[in-house]
Amino acid sequence: MLTRFVVLAAAASALIAQTLDPAKLLLPPTDSWPTYNGDYSGRRFSTLSKINSSNVNSLSLGWVYRINAGGAIKATPLVVDGVMYFTVPDHVWAIDARTGREIWSYTWQSKGGEHIGNRGVGIYGKWLYFETPDCNLVSLNLSDGKERWHKTICDLDQMYFGSVAPVVMKNHVIVGVSGDDLDIPGYLESRDPETGELQWHWSVLPKPGEPGSETWPNAEAMAHGGGMTWVPSTYDPELNLLYLGTGNPQPVIAGKARKGDNLYTESIVALDVDTGKMKWHFQSSPHDTHDWDAVQTPVLFDGEIKGEKRKLLAQASRNGFFFVLDRTTGKNLVTKEFVKTNWTKGIDAKGQPIPNPAKEPQIDGALVTPNQAGAANWPPPSFSPQTGLFYINASRGFSVYYIFDDDDKPEGWGGNDRGGYSESMLQAIDYKTGKIAWSHKWEGSGIRSGVLSTAGNLVFAADPANNLVALDAKLGRPLWHVNLGNAMSNGPITYELDGKQYLVVGAGDTMFGFVMNTK
Amino acid sequence: MNAPSTFLRSAAVLVAALTCAHAADAQFPTAPGREVTQKVCGSCHGAEVTVSKGKTRQQWAEVITSMVAKGAKATGEEFAQVLDYLAKNLPPQNNAAATAGRPARQPSAGPMDVHIVDTAGADRGKSIYVAECVTCHGQKARGKEDTADLVRSVVVLHDRYGNTIGPFFAKGHPMQSGRPSAGLTTIQVADLSHFLHQRVADTLRSGPYSKVLNVLTGDAKAGASYFSGAGKCSTCHSPTRDLAGVGAKYDPPALQQRFLFPRAVGFARGGGVVQTKPVTVTVTLPSGPPITGVLDKIDDFNVSLRDAEGQYRSYERTPEMKIEKQDPYAAHNELLELYTDKNIHDVVAYLATLK
Repeated sequence: MLTRFVVLAAAASALIAQTLDPAKLLLPPTDSWPTYNGDYSGRRFSTLSKINSSNVNSLSLGWVYRINAGGAIKATPLVVDGVMYFTVPDHVWAIDARTGREIWSYTWQSKGGEHIGNRGVGIYGKWLYFETPDCNLVSLNLSDGKERWHKTICDLDQMYFGSVAPVVMKNHVIVGVSGDDLDIPGYLESRDPETGELQWHWSVLPKPGEPGSETWPNAEAMAHGGGMTWVPSTYDPELNLLYLGTGNPQPVIAGKARKGDNLYTESIVALDVDTGKMKWHFQSSPHDTHDWDAVQTPVLFDGEIKGEKRKLLAQASRNGFFFVLDRTTGKNLVTKEFVKTNWTKGIDAKGQPIPNPAKEPQIDGALVTPNQAGAANWPPPSFSPQTGLFYINASRGFSVYYIFDDDDKPEGWGGNDRGGYSESMLQAIDYKTGKIAWSHKWEGSGIRSGVLSTAGNLVFAADPANNLVALDAKLGRPLWHVNLGNAMSNGPITYELDGKQYLVVGAGDTMFGFVMNTK
Repeated sequence: MNAPSTFLRSAAVLVAALTCAHAADAQFPTAPGREVTQKVCGSCHGAEVTVSKGKTRQQWAEVITSMVAKGAKATGEEFAQVLDYLAKNLPPQNNAAATAGRPARQPSAGPMDVHIVDTAGADRGKSIYVAECVTCHGQKARGKEDTADLVRSVVVLHDRYGNTIGPFFAKGHPMQSGRPSAGLTTIQVADLSHFLHQRVADTLRSGPYSKVLNVLTGDAKAGASYFSGAGKCSTCHSPTRDLAGVGAKYDPPALQQRFLFPRAVGFARGGGVVQTKPVTVTVTLPSGPPITGVLDKIDDFNVSLRDAEGQYRSYERTPEMKIEKQDPYAAHNELLELYTDKNIHDVVAYLATLK
């Protein structure tokens, strides 16, 4: 009898466990973190408040999981039905979200590619998806980590690689590509969640004669103009539009043979999620020559600007500018520096910064701020509808940009920047004006951490000294911290299970699970 | 008659490349400095990004300097250890090593079965290229208005030792001499393949041309007046005392980096790491005398220092505590807001004259 009971119980739990109903992705996550940014908006705001500004001092370490494989955890973990899924290049883990105990792990046999980082998995139904450095999209069975299929999504010989977390929108698995070594075209693809087959392919670079082609000098430069798609997109189900920030043009530094704005590199674009057709674009960095990918998360929220209620989109871009757009039309509403920069000649009528040619890389060097690390980078920001503030862990760095390849047709990078001075601060930006509502300057510099805000009036971020810090969301005052021994290397997440709220961050090779034990 | 042996060698290298440990399992070689290198470099990327490259000490110094701009964090001493470790354990890999089965160059990007360039083959390939291809495809193989850029060619990037360009030539492609391209021997095709892959490798960031070309473009006289005038450099520095010989000590690109970013890691001619002046800190508790020492670590919550006796002291920060930091380079950091690029180039030109 007992045996039969156990079998039945196991079968019953298998039926309900480890399945993600795509409808769940339309709700704010509470007992799960079912997609890269928690929900489609990219706000990384949690409605949970059991951990809050009056009790955060009691937040305790609940568990630790060390991956025992090289590399830092840059993935934002996903949590579905009490199980957490995350990656480093070529590796996926499923661990218990309550205890940190390993359930299964999966290793991909690599054929090469850049192993710089992996941002995590996407989940649809009973299946999980991730990209590999050697250009494959792999689907695993959620319950046991067994491979279901893999599909090639890019060409390793052209030095593409996979790093972005796939995002599932309706019955589309949205995948992007990375690669900056040779001059190659960027693209975004939608794949069938059942088969992995291509549904649509959107090229970042226009073809000769198409709109946008006038921003390139010739077909050769346009066909090799870069624009990688290495940070997950956000999505508005009502408008049926996905929002993508595109990467830098190529050649990366030496822009002599790609005069013009170089659309649609370093742009925020809105694509129809069913067809991949572009509805509008806004270029964060026209004709960039500083490796300032504009891939930073396009964060979606509704708000009021100048008395008008609008559907909005905000980006704190690597080039130092904060943009707010109307996400229905792409119209620019706010453009404002969130750190002081020195590379523009002003803002044009469309709200786009105008690059100063004197601050393009030079043979004898040009002193530029931000530096290549950027005022912001891939780590995700957060927006709290409670405070109306956009939180970004920012840097203000200086470096000297040089041209190394003075050929009329430079290729690859053709230059780089050197050295530097930098300072770091957590900026809380008022979305209505772009003004800094509060700024918490960190001691030291060099920061790569995501941000989470919660209804508990808290903001979680890392400082440059390996601390995970909880700050008062309204005032910017640090309330709690813990030194993780390594720099936090991903974006924090939170979820509630059995009435307890958890906070999870990755730092180097270790995942830390904090929990509020007082109910 | 070395051609057939080259072919065999290429085949042997190909086999070696296919069987070499795959990128994800790459490890830093075991040697003194491994841990610090792992810590400094490994916090952002896997070991294979670093160990796949062989470089001279000077080239590694350049890599470290560029990584600082990308956010690499370490003390000057740690960077010095990293440089020593990389220069000793990952030197340039010559062709002899390649023929012994080690890849001459394995970029972190791209496939593991990368085409391994045989430099002698590439040299022979260059002669064929000059005789048959250069007029249309150009000296750097980057193509011209109406001809293919061979560095960006997918046929070339997919090629290994002639296995895609061979069939391409067999179909017939115009050559300068007017000879039929199908007449190229297997060896000639392999040599051309080596030459083209060498052009691709040279294009990469890890290639030999990734270096500063010339920063001596300024006006030394204007630099001298800025030094003693608007820049106020002469408040702290003198061309005959602390800066005497500075133009000999550093090459011009390093000189430029030194005065702009004195706190950042820097290298003298020959690759020696520049010693930087520490930040000092004075901690004053509500009771007791102020304690001054070399700042060790500081964040929002704690501060630590080494006092005049070398004793390590650590404090939890409190609102009642006074902390004063003294950065000898503070004035340099403030100048970053004020310099024009012309000021910078003039000052470099001036400092370079102090030999």
